[in-house]
Amino acid sequence: MTEAIAAVAHDRHGHPPAGIMRWLTTTNHKDLGILYMSFGGIMFFIGGAFIMAVRAELLLPGLQLLSPGMYNQLFTLHALIMVFGAIMPFATGLNNYLIPLMIGAPDMALPRVNNWGFWILPFAAVLLLIPFFLQFSGIGSGASGLGWVMHNTSLDLQSGIGIDFAIFTIHLLGISSLTGAINVVVTVLNMRAPGMALMKMPLFVWAWLITAFMLILVIPVFSAAATMLLTDRHFGTHFFDAANGGDPILLQHLIWFFGHPEVYIVLLPAWGLIPHILATFSRKPVYGYRAQVYALWAICFLSFIVWSHHMLTSGLPLAAEVYFMYSTMAISVPTSVLVFCWLGAIWRGAMTFETPMLFALGFVAHFGMGALTGMILPDVAANAQYHNSYVIVSHFHYTFFGGGIFGMMAAVYYWLPKFTGRMFDEKLGRLHFWLTVIFFNVTFIPQWFAGLDGMPRHIADFALRFSAMNLISSVGAFLLGLSQLLLVYIVVKCVRGGPKATGQVWEGAQGLEFTLPSPPPYHTFETPPEVK
Amino acid sequence: MMDETGKRKQRTVQLVVALVLFVAAIYAATFIKLPVWLPALQ
Ligand code: HEM
Ligand SMILES: [Cu+2]
Repeated sequence: MTEAIAAVAHDRHGHPPAGIMRWLTTTNHKDLGILYMSFGGIMFFIGGAFIMAVRAELLLPGLQLLSPGMYNQLFTLHALIMVFGAIMPFATGLNNYLIPLMIGAPDMALPRVNNWGFWILPFAAVLLLIPFFLQFSGIGSGASGLGWVMHNTSLDLQSGIGIDFAIFTIHLLGISSLTGAINVVVTVLNMRAPGMALMKMPLFVWAWLITAFMLILVIPVFSAAATMLLTDRHFGTHFFDAANGGDPILLQHLIWFFGHPEVYIVLLPAWGLIPHILATFSRKPVYGYRAQVYALWAICFLSFIVWSHHMLTSGLPLAAEVYFMYSTMAISVPTSVLVFCWLGAIWRGAMTFETPMLFALGFVAHFGMGALTGMILPDVAANAQYHNSYVIVSHFHYTFFGGGIFGMMAAVYYWLPKFTGRMFDEKLGRLHFWLTVIFFNVTFIPQWFAGLDGMPRHIADFALRFSAMNLISSVGAFLLGLSQLLLVYIVVKCVRGGPKATGQVWEGAQGLEFTLPSPPPYHTFETPPEVK
Repeated sequence: MMDETGKRKQRTVQLVVALVLFVAAIYAATFIKLPVWLPALQ
C-alpha cells in the first residue's frame, strides 16, 4: 500500500498513457470512476435485455417462448446483473470520481487496489454468463436459477455447473466490493483536506462511508454462505443438508443477513446524492444535514437486525416473528426523517426543473411508494399472503428502480456536464424522464394488484385471471426498456459535443467539485484546498 | 519525528490491516459460530 501511494505520487505529474493501456493500468480515480460507471451502464442494458425475454413470456398466459428452467435462469441473471453488475458498480464509479473531489484529496487512498477492484468485474460478469451460453451447445444445464441471493429454496436441489459458476462469481464480486469499501473508508478517514471535518463532509461522502461499513460487515457473511454451499455440493459437508443433520434454514438466515443490508447498500449512495441535487435546484443549503447523517447511521444499524422479515413464513417461533415485524417497521422512523428532510429541502425554494431535479423528485415520489408498500409487508399475519407473490416484486422495484435507478439517473444528469465539460440535450433529458416515469408505473402498478389477487412470483406461467395485469405490465416493460435507449443517445451526444459547461455547471450548485473547471484536470487538489 | 505524509501512510496501512482482519474474522465466524447460536431463533 505504501508502495502504491509512492507509485502514484511518482506518476502524479505525468500524463495518462495513450490508448488501451491507459484504461488497463490506470490508478487515477477519475479514470476508474469512468470505467466503473461505463461498466455499470453496459450491464444495465444486458440485465434489461434478459428481463425483456421474461416479460415476453409473461405477455400471455401459457408457455410460449421459454421453458420454466430457462425462465428461472433469466430472472436470476437479470437480478444478479442489475444489483451487482449495474447499480453497485455505477455507485462505486460515482464514489471514485467524486469523493476525492468532494473532500479535497488528490486521489483515493489505495489507487492500485482500486484498479484491481475494477478489473475483477468484467471477469466476474463473464464467469456468470458462461454457463448460460454453454447450454446452447449442449454443455451443462445452464446458469443458476436460484434468485438474486440464491434464496429460491424450491430449487435448492438444482444441480449443474451454473450454481458453481454463480458461487465463484459471488466470491469475485465480494472481493471487488470489499476492496472498494476498504478504499472508501481509508480515503474518507485519512485523506480529507485540512478543515474538512467529518460533520462538514457532503452527504454523498457520508452515505458512502456508511455504505462501505455495511459492505465490510455483510459481504464476508454472504461469501462464507456461498463457500459453505460449495463445500456442501462438492466436498461432503452438510451445513445446509437436513438429511444429514444440517439446516437448510441456516442458509436462509445467512443470505438474508446479507440480503437485507444489501438493499440499503444499493440505496444509500442514492440517498446521499439526492440532497445535493434538491438543494442545488431549490437554491437553498442542504436541509437537516445532521438529522440526515444520524438517520443514515440509524438505518445502517437497524438494517442488521431485521433480516428475517424475508423468512416470516419459514416457521420461526412467534416471538421471533413479532420481533422481526416491529424491528422492520422501526426502519420507517429514520426513513421518514430522510423523506422529511428532502421535502424540507425544496420547501419554499426557488425551484427549477432541469432533468436532474426531475429525476430527484421522481426518486422521492417513487422511493416513497416503495417504503410505504414496505411498511405493510412485515405484518406477520398479512405477510403470509404477500410472501412470494407479485406484491413483493412490485415493492422491491419501487425501491430498487424507483429509488436506486432513479437516483443513479439523477446523478448521471447532474454530474455528466462536470465529467464531460459539455451540457446534454435538456429537452431529450426531460423526455427521457417522463417516458421512464410513465412506463415504470405502467409496468409495476399492475404487478401489485396481480400480487394482491394471489399471483405467485418466480413462475413462467400464470392463471388466466391474471392475464390483463400481465399484458399491461409486459407492454409497459417493453416501452420502459425502449425508452432507456434514449439515455444512451443523450449521453453519447453529450460526450461528442454540445454547449460548453461552466465549472459551476448549475446556477445553485455548491461543493468543492464545482469549484473546478468542467471537466476537471487529470490531477486535482495536489495541494489541498482551504475548507472554511 | 515523522512528517505529515509519513504519518498518513502509517495510518493508512494500520487501517487497511485492521479492516482486512475484521473481514477475515467475520468470514471465519460465519463457519464456526453462526450454526451454534442461530438455531436458537428457530
Ligand atoms: C421502510 C422500508 C422497508 C420495509 C418495511 C421493507 C419490508 C420488506 C419485507 C417485509 C420484505 C419481505 C417480504 C416477503 O418476501 O414476504 C421485503 C422484500 C424486499 N425488499 Fe423491502 N422493505 C423496505 C425497504 C426496502 C428497500 C429500501 C429496498 C431496496 C432498495 C427493498 C428491497 C426489497 C427486496 C429486493 C425484497 C425482495 C427480496 C426477495 O425476496 O427477492 N426494500 N421488504
Ligand atoms: Cu429486507
